[in-house]
Amino acid sequence: MTMLSRVADRLYWKARYLERAEDTARLVSSYHLLIMDIPSGAELGWDVLLRILDAEPWFYSRYRVANEANIVKFLVADTDNPSSVAASVRSARENVRTTRDVLPEETWEQVNELHLFVKEAADKSVGRRNRQAFLDEVVSRCQMINGMLQTTLSRDHAYRFTRLGHLLERSDMTTRVVDVGVMELMERDSRFAAIDPLVWSSLLQSLSGLGAYRRMVGPLLDGASVAEFVLKEADHPRSVAFCLRGIRESLRPLSNNEAAMRQLERARRKLGRFHADTMSPDDIHRYIDDFQGLINQLHDTISDTWFQPEAR
Amino acid sequence: MNNHWSSYQPGAFYDELITDRGSPRTAARGAVQLFQELDAEEMAARREAAELAIREMGISFTVYTEGGNIDRAWPFDIIPRVISAKQWKKVSRGLIQRSRALNCFIDDIYNKQRILADGLVPADIVLESSNYKPQCRGMSPRYGVWAHICGSDLVRNVDGKFYVLEDNLRVPSGVSYMVENREITKRVLPELFENYSILPVDDYPSQLYRTLASLSPRDRKRPCIVVLTPGIYNSAYFEHAFLAHGMGAELVEGPDLMVGDDECVYMRTVDGPVRVDVIYRRIDEDFMDPEAFREDSVLGISGLMRAWKAGKVAIANAPGSGVADDKVVYAYVPEMIRYYLGEKPLIDSVPTYLCMDEKDRDYVLNNLDKLVVKPANESGGYGIMVGPHASAATRRKFAGLIEKNPRNYIAQPTLSLSTAPTYCDDTIEPRHLDLRPFILQGKNSWVTPGGLTRVALVKGSLVVNSSQGGGSKDTWIVEGKV
Repeated sequence: MTMLSRVADRLYWKARYLERAEDTARLVSSYHLLIMDIPSGAELGWDVLLRILDAEPWFYSRYRVANEANIVKFLVADTDNPSSVAASVRSARENVRTTRDVLPEETWEQVNELHLFVKEAADKSVGRRNRQAFLDEVVSRCQMINGMLQTTLSRDHAYRFTRLGHLLERSDMTTRVVDVGVMELMERDSRFAAIDPLVWSSLLQSLSGLGAYRRMVGPLLDGASVAEFVLKEADHPRSVAFCLRGIRESLRPLSNNEAAMRQLERARRKLGRFHADTMSPDDIHRYIDDFQGLINQLHDTISDTWFQPEAR
Repeated sequence: MNNHWSSYQPGAFYDELITDRGSPRTAARGAVQLFQELDAEEMAARREAAELAIREMGISFTVYTEGGNIDRAWPFDIIPRVISAKQWKKVSRGLIQRSRALNCFIDDIYNKQRILADGLVPADIVLESSNYKPQCRGMSPRYGVWAHICGSDLVRNVDGKFYVLEDNLRVPSGVSYMVENREITKRVLPELFENYSILPVDDYPSQLYRTLASLSPRDRKRPCIVVLTPGIYNSAYFEHAFLAHGMGAELVEGPDLMVGDDECVYMRTVDGPVRVDVIYRRIDEDFMDPEAFREDSVLGISGLMRAWKAGKVAIANAPGSGVADDKVVYAYVPEMIRYYLGEKPLIDSVPTYLCMDEKDRDYVLNNLDKLVVKPANESGGYGIMVGPHASAATRRKFAGLIEKNPRNYIAQPTLSLSTAPTYCDDTIEPRHLDLRPFILQGKNSWVTPGGLTRVALVKGSLVVNSSQGGGSKDTWIVEGKV
């Protein structure tokens, strides 16, 4: 059973948007928890999140002040920000709406419910009081949808393109999360080095990786080993290495996959060259930038090969 | 007994559930009893549950307005309409007979035109109709069937008899709502099903699949069937997706298809081009192929008509089928049944006055206050005048329209559409309704058990179209004693 190029395109984006909604919710949530643990005088700025998401120009075209309220609103509830939780969920819903016929029937119902929930609650969840409960609910609903797809979707093209979108978005977001930590270290006064573990543990939490890290690496957190872990620990499902392996598995059965496979191998080799202990925060930041460039090229190749075959 | 029902007055019309003596009809007895046991609070709770189910299932339809398209939740009334299986059997035989005759007519028109030569139907009204497509001359699709899916609108008059009001042979819609309505009732009123034997409606997609598969030009175990939709902004998109999913078929848009040098139709897939056997077309034929019809169509597929004529692909409904979907042609259907099948019509048509006929026209112009005037060629309930409800100014306007373009108008007596108890605000009141069953024709014929019941939610209104404030009801065909 084959699949329309247009449908493959939409499935891919559906998965990317769902993952983006979940990851953005996780990012805001872990930052929200982190802020409360930070001693006064060492305030972290919320604007770090804007830099992570490459959203500064867009943000400043709409808001004057980069304060907590504005940034959380922009990242969670603002439907004019195409990457906000609300807009991502809406885009995921639009993509499911037009691919209902190849997805398990519950998909539409669950994505639609998620959309209705976010539409109803997002605006009220910008303030600190309701924020956490809202973000938790978004994350758990996204997980429910992913779990449902994982357990009901036939292992055909619908699964492959869903997985490609899901893993590509996730590896992009994971590298961004590492970047948050690195940028924090670069910017902060060394007097506050004592809070480093707090930053790193919150980042691991946003990747549901704290427990796994403790078991596999140990209870003590330091920047270099955390970065190594989330990028290269191939057994951890949110690590970039895990995502790349999954992408390779999904690409392998597709026809005309040569260019995409080559692109993927470049990213895998690049990942192999990551050694946090020999790199300065500056190096790591640049490295992540380069790596994201490779991920973007992989996206372009996938799109040119399977979604717009005429353009080839 | 609940006071909702004690004050129920069926009025001067045929009521589907309650006799004029105020007692439930035999087939509806169990359902009415159950509703009578529900108090006001419980009724409201069930309605809320239905609204929630509709939202969660994402059942919607699109309304076009000046401010853009709005996706609206499907309006649904929780009280079902009940019809006995015995009565339905007669109706469905009549519908199959009708659909067979209509298909003979279409096939005749594009080939020998015997019925025109014999003078039974005036040639000019057929050949000058915008629904007649000369591009289809000489084609004879498999089994001689052109209109594989027909949605006929039935109304029940005060005499309790069903009449066919019109036959939709182009791209009839609504069948997915028939299936979903049953799904909602099952969720919201499960206890109704305990003591009833209700004919299931949810196998419609498999019946449609069987019909379409029987048209495949290639003899394959699983022919490649696609549903061709104009896209997400079409008012019936929900249904297109629903049917594609139900058949395990691809839902395609024009740009997904192309015609190869071998005159076969291919769809663009992630594995390269794949040949298509049958297209279930849900776009208007005028937009189907810019090469054969409207050049400005961006929805269409260049060369599709060539592929169809070469017998490389089947299209349902076949282009040109609309020639029998015309309110003037409608007037001749009883004649067609006698002419092509040598049978007596088993289901009645509504008497129709053709404004193009001088005698009929005089009658119509003198009796505008008693008649319903309809344009010959519109659907969706647009451009209709219901005489008894129209102002003098509107009647004058229509008199002018008729005189200017008599071919374009027909008139029919105002039927007393039947009513059924409908849950409005917090009382139960009679509301007018119609019924759209779907008739499938390929190698075999099949009629949906029941169909889509549409109900005019506005008191006294006869307009049931969802685009104009209509709602719908689950429709039950009930077997045996209750």
